[in-house]
Amino acid sequence: MSAIGLKLLPLRSRHVLPGFRLSLGFTLFYLAGIVLVPLLALVIRPVELGFDGFWTAISTPRVLASLRLSFGMALAAAVIDSFFGVIIAWVLVRYRFPGKALLDAVIDLPFALPTAVAGIALSTLYAPNGWIGAALAEYGIRVAYTPWGVLVAMVFIALPFTVRTVQPVMAELGLEVEEAAATLGATRIQTIARVVIPMLGPAVLTGMAMAFARAAGEYGSIIFIAGNIPAVSEIAPLLIVTKLEQYDYAGASAIGVVMLIASFVMLLALNGLQSWAAKRR
Amino acid sequence: MSLTVDSVTKKFRRFPALNGASFVAPQGSFVSLLGPSGSGKTTLLRILGGLEFADSGSVRFADLNWLDMPARTRNPGFVFQQYALFKHMTVADNIAFGLKVRPRSKRPSKSEIQDRVKSLLDLVQLPGLEQRYPSQLSGGQRQRVALARALAIEPRMLLLDEPFGALDAKVRKELRADLRRIHDHAGVTTVFVTHDQEEAFAVADLVAVMKDGRIEQYGAPADVRRNPRTPFVSEFLSV
Amino acid sequence: MKKRYLKPTEDPLWLKLILGAVTIGFIAVLLLLPLVLMFKEALANGLNGFWASMTEPDALASVRLSLIAAAIAVPLNTVFGIAAAWAIAKYDFRGKTFLVTLIDLPFSVSPVVAGLIYVLVFGMQGWLGPTLADHDVRILFALPGIVLVTIFVTFPFVARELIPLMVDQGRDEEEAAATLGASGFQTFLRVTLPNIKWGLLYGILLCNARALGEFGAVSVVSGHIRGVTNTMPLHVQLLYDNYDYAGAFTVAALLAMLALLTLALKSLLEWRYADELAAAHRR
Repeated sequence: MSAIGLKLLPLRSRHVLPGFRLSLGFTLFYLAGIVLVPLLALVIRPVELGFDGFWTAISTPRVLASLRLSFGMALAAAVIDSFFGVIIAWVLVRYRFPGKALLDAVIDLPFALPTAVAGIALSTLYAPNGWIGAALAEYGIRVAYTPWGVLVAMVFIALPFTVRTVQPVMAELGLEVEEAAATLGATRIQTIARVVIPMLGPAVLTGMAMAFARAAGEYGSIIFIAGNIPAVSEIAPLLIVTKLEQYDYAGASAIGVVMLIASFVMLLALNGLQSWAAKRR
Repeated sequence: MSLTVDSVTKKFRRFPALNGASFVAPQGSFVSLLGPSGSGKTTLLRILGGLEFADSGSVRFADLNWLDMPARTRNPGFVFQQYALFKHMTVADNIAFGLKVRPRSKRPSKSEIQDRVKSLLDLVQLPGLEQRYPSQLSGGQRQRVALARALAIEPRMLLLDEPFGALDAKVRKELRADLRRIHDHAGVTTVFVTHDQEEAFAVADLVAVMKDGRIEQYGAPADVRRNPRTPFVSEFLSV
Repeated sequence: MKKRYLKPTEDPLWLKLILGAVTIGFIAVLLLLPLVLMFKEALANGLNGFWASMTEPDALASVRLSLIAAAIAVPLNTVFGIAAAWAIAKYDFRGKTFLVTLIDLPFSVSPVVAGLIYVLVFGMQGWLGPTLADHDVRILFALPGIVLVTIFVTFPFVARELIPLMVDQGRDEEEAAATLGASGFQTFLRVTLPNIKWGLLYGILLCNARALGEFGAVSVVSGHIRGVTNTMPLHVQLLYDNYDYAGAFTVAALLAMLALLTLALKSLLEWRYADELAAAHRR
């Protein structure tokens, strides 16, 4: 903590406004106490376990399958949400129709709705006797209690991230670049493919990364619909919970460390994306 | 091959932006549309560029019924006040855009495009900046690139919407002189929108002073200045 | 005169219809259908059944626990958010961007991992567990643990709303107040606070919604003791797993109504006080 305190020492020691020490001191103290120190308990866990112990805990088929499921389906959900997110943002930014404000507000529902609530609703909806599940069952498609259930819950939970990242950038884009492309002879399709989509690129990728991070770590909305069959539809966060219930702290921590590393990587990627987008301004 | 604008009108909701604007620009002339904000000059320019529809009236260019053509077949070189450069493309890609989007049969070869970009950059006095991105350029440089991009398609006419509005006074003067030089070099009919009378009179062959969606007076700069035809024109020019 | 072609920025009607249908269809099936189902299931046994499920003692205990956890976590994170935004917006110091990244960190950590780290600190095999047990202090499987993880998962909400807003507003007004002889506290109360009040409310609103609804992190540290350490979302799970669907959906519907209220207030703030929110929420 003192190392961080030193790093953050102000360039100027005197400030016009009072309260620098108090506000920054409290910020650092609270941040360290609530976030950094507890995280450290997990980060140094592999050191305590030793590399071999860590590796043994990770490399069981059940753990690997859960990690593959969580990250693989999160990637799929991020791609699906990005696709629909761009369309939804386009409709909300460009078109005028009655009820638009309501539609816009509803986008944030997965963000505001507690995940367990979403979980039981999705589970009931997609169960073989549920409204959607029954309809799909006629075509022999099963969603609930299979890996597809995991995907549905992830698509639900991550949608606001893609829409809300793309929407403001799209609104700011303005019509002039499209008009410029048209006066230069581009067709509408060429304008969209060569001008609009590339200009939205950083925002779409940012939204996709946020959706991926959220979906990979999601727990509440998934466990009800997934069926949680080990090595088939069991997500990594659930396996952490299971191992904790069995007092397998080493196993739980090992998965936790992998998830934490993934979070850090996504955070770095997001920062990189942001500075890339800023350069284009 | 002259441009004939005849009684063009345009309403936005209920606000009349154009109220029967008419003028004739001979082939290769440089026309300034001058007027206070809200006088309809930008609307008229956007109608000429195909970015806005006229409610009534007609525009003929050469023997083309201009208003029947969508923007992308008119080939108007349009220059925007805020440049509207494609920020994700290099300067060279920006300038080449209009050539690259042509159907294959009409598209110049890669080396031809490269040569064209180079000579256009020379023309707008930015040699060697092909690989820069717009964000790495000053405002004046960006507008030069936008001008080069508009000229690359060998436009039928050149339309400029307050192109120097976002630039400081010194850069405006330089660019103004360069614009006139480039116009003379390209020999293309040019319509230039501005609210700055000094600018309008300095570059144009013909000045149209606009008010409330109409053209109050149209003529050579010296004539307009010497004989303002209405009280509005004399007052506007005396400021 | 008739339009003979489209403006270059206007989509043709067929495209508008397709994209509009995709948008409405996707939102209706993915987002609205679960909501409709939830209220239908909650009312499956009529209003009386709804009322009976809601006033059942364990349900009430879970409501109480959720409210207590939020009532502690939200004010603490609000104070933190204001302090952090003040330090970041009003002064220059090295490592500022790094600090902002650290503040956002809890958002990118899985809720289950958030619970796990507190188990590693306070659990019997953890750093402090044995010591705490010796002194008979319970953190895990009790209120303090629930409150701590709730604070963790809702940590950035107020700060991340206030930081961009206060950075945007700059320091001029505060510096003017200082030159006029106002104390630091007076300056904050009379100059800063009025400028940020709607943004602050916005952050608190989202922070509160998440605090009441958090599931994964709380699930790890609560111990699931019915009527004692079950928050509302955990109670939903318990009822659902015991096949009491009407009961589960009743508590769920209650939480859903809270979520809808949050969304309505949030939209109202975005619409009415757009200028006084951080740039990202201006429409």
